[in-house]
Amino acid sequence: MQEVAVQVEGLVVNYGPFVAVDNLSFTVNSGEIYGLLGPNGAGKTSTLKVLVGVLEARAGKIEVFNMPISQEVAAKSQIGYVPEEVVLLDSLTPREFLEFIASIRKLEASAANSRLEKLVSAFELKQFFDTPIAALSMGNKQKVAVIAALLHEPRLLVLDEPLIGLDARSSKILKELVTFHAKRGGAVIFSTHIMEVAEKLCDRVGIINKGKIVGEGTVNELRKLVKSAEGSLEDIFLKVTEQEAGMQDTIRALEEEEKQP
Amino acid sequence: MKFSELWRLSSIMYKEISFQSIFSLRAGGALPRRGKDDVRTLISNAEVSTILSKLITTLFIAFFGFVVFLPLMAGTSSSYPTRELTAVGSVSTFLAVVLFLISFMGLQVSTSFVSSKAIDVLTPLSLSKSDISHIVFLCFIRIFDIPLAASAMVLLLAYYFIGGSFLGGLAAFAGIIVTEAFALMLTVGLARFFYSRVAGGGGKSRWKTLLRFVFMLVWILPSFGIYFVVNFAGQIAQSFTSLTQGFSSILQLLVLIYPFSYGYLVSFATFSFQASYLTVALSVAACSGYFALAAYCVKWVTRTVGRIGAGGISTALREVVKDTVVSPQVPWLGTIRKDLRIASRSPSYASLFLLPAIEAAVLAMSFSSFNEVGLSSTLGLLTGMSVVVLMLPPTLVSIEGLAASYTRSLPLKKKTLISAKTLLSTLTYAISLVVLFVVALYVGRSYFYILTFGAIHLFSVAAATMLELIILTNKFWKEGFAIGNIYVRLSTYILIIIPGLAVVMIPIIAALATFLLAQSLTLAVFLGLAVTEFAVATAYVALEK
Repeated sequence: MQEVAVQVEGLVVNYGPFVAVDNLSFTVNSGEIYGLLGPNGAGKTSTLKVLVGVLEARAGKIEVFNMPISQEVAAKSQIGYVPEEVVLLDSLTPREFLEFIASIRKLEASAANSRLEKLVSAFELKQFFDTPIAALSMGNKQKVAVIAALLHEPRLLVLDEPLIGLDARSSKILKELVTFHAKRGGAVIFSTHIMEVAEKLCDRVGIINKGKIVGEGTVNELRKLVKSAEGSLEDIFLKVTEQEAGMQDTIRALEEEEKQP
Repeated sequence: MKFSELWRLSSIMYKEISFQSIFSLRAGGALPRRGKDDVRTLISNAEVSTILSKLITTLFIAFFGFVVFLPLMAGTSSSYPTRELTAVGSVSTFLAVVLFLISFMGLQVSTSFVSSKAIDVLTPLSLSKSDISHIVFLCFIRIFDIPLAASAMVLLLAYYFIGGSFLGGLAAFAGIIVTEAFALMLTVGLARFFYSRVAGGGGKSRWKTLLRFVFMLVWILPSFGIYFVVNFAGQIAQSFTSLTQGFSSILQLLVLIYPFSYGYLVSFATFSFQASYLTVALSVAACSGYFALAAYCVKWVTRTVGRIGAGGISTALREVVKDTVVSPQVPWLGTIRKDLRIASRSPSYASLFLLPAIEAAVLAMSFSSFNEVGLSSTLGLLTGMSVVVLMLPPTLVSIEGLAASYTRSLPLKKKTLISAKTLLSTLTYAISLVVLFVVALYVGRSYFYILTFGAIHLFSVAAATMLELIILTNKFWKEGFAIGNIYVRLSTYILIIIPGLAVVMIPIIAALATFLLAQSLTLAVFLGLAVTEFAVATAYVALEK
């Protein structure tokens, strides 16, 4: 039986009166890539932030490898996180930043350097290694964040829109790494707006809308849910998030406006 | 595009740059709290802070104008030579100080302006290149609007009160315009240099690190100089006048040098005193030359600022990377290294690290007036220095907010964070003690009290910083050290010093009381209390998870 990597039960996150995540529950098993999908503002990032300890939940139970998230240091040691907004320590260079990460994660110099060399080479970051992060392009900043997340070989990867800004080669490498990580028994929670990527990469997806899970399972299970035998994940997504209705009318109206002289 | 429309658009850009100057350079970029009220408060804090900064500069200028022109308004005294020379000294001093105040007090916001990405949003809009340049230039002028207007007004008003002539007023006006043009060029040049070589320049080598440290010193010391200018306004004006008097034999040379050329021209146009035609002609020629130079400066500033709008400035060249080796440390040491690296690239953080040592050096200058550096003077010095060190913990905690949306995900223990920042604060205090000790040694004063009481007081300062850090981490650990959280509550930032101050003062007050009652027990009481405070604070931190 597969070990439960992440267990979220009755999660509630609010910003003042606004409830971003409303009684959310899901489970991710070891060896599984779980896609968390949803429209903008659905509550995906808030959920992931709570999971990695960046944000405090108002209510709910979260466990990472059977450890409550309240055991902060132990739980965080198991996680590698790529945030949606890549805000790193901009005045540091990638070398200084990754050295800081390796220090906090108590990594052995030899092991850290051996892994770092491979990751830096894979993501072609070497030439920017001593350039301040502030001066890097968005894609290169994203690469620094991805390397920082992978450096300590975590058991759980939490990736919030990790492909944004990455070039084709780096995207491919990251997707391969994620697949390899899951095959080796690690768990991945992956948030993305690119439905094709989610469809190909994820074993299961959870579709979240207005803070609630509105659909969960493999793509085939979701097809059954929306009673569509052939629809793509995009079609399923639009149906369960109730975004399909009215969409065609909006497109038609815009096209009509374009036609007018 | 109409000027009114350009002016309106520049106001939007200016608001954004003010916001970035507070929350990007000084405090960090991330504002992860999403509550609308928090963000609104931050925006209004940024606006108030920018206006306050302008008003403070204006107040300094007004105060300084009053002090330097006072002798001329009240009539010359025995300490001043003649009203003609006093006028030369007063006008020259005023111009020099305006140059200094505008260029250095506007430096932080100018650096933010130079590095701002806010201007990028203008480029894709349907605006011509010249409109963008105009908006960017007007936006830049907004940074200095109040101080620029105030400088001109203060000089002209002061000149009016000393009974100036129309021609003299014209010369004074030309002088202040030239000064303001020089100040703008200086501030843009320095900001550009700072951004491209220090903030934007990385580098692994020790040489680069040393270079950054030197840049930072050059950057920070003038900021402290501003307070000297205000404190010693009278003496500065008198020195300028004395200088004028001292060089009166070579007046023809002095009138060629800015700002004396304007000082002399204003004085001559006001009092029409006997002077050689050659000297007057030289003064007019020099002033015209400076005016032409100022016109060039304005052109340069417009061009440079416009270029920034058209695509920013390039940062330092990328260096060849030989390896990707890192040297991980234990977490507390890793945290200290990270804090020091960040501080070495941010003038506002670096200034707080350097302030205690600079303060110690300034205080140590007073040693020459002491017969002996005794117990009471030593304890007084220790109080002053420790108050400055107590300002460090909130700042060190705010560094954690720079990338809180990421670093909060790291497995960092609260006690590790507290220990690292306590060590850094205490080390800063220890360095200022070394400065005091070295000066005492140099001026041949007894250093016994500094050595013994200073060393013992380190325990108390460590306990006080631990207390501040415990309070701050308990307050912000759960919700995150986001700059938004800390800056929204400015009271937290300031009031936190009070408990720390109580801790550093307890052994000092007890030692002074014991000295009066039972002198022989003074050191023992001081030691006992300081070590007890340290032990209690350390035990509390050790219990933290």
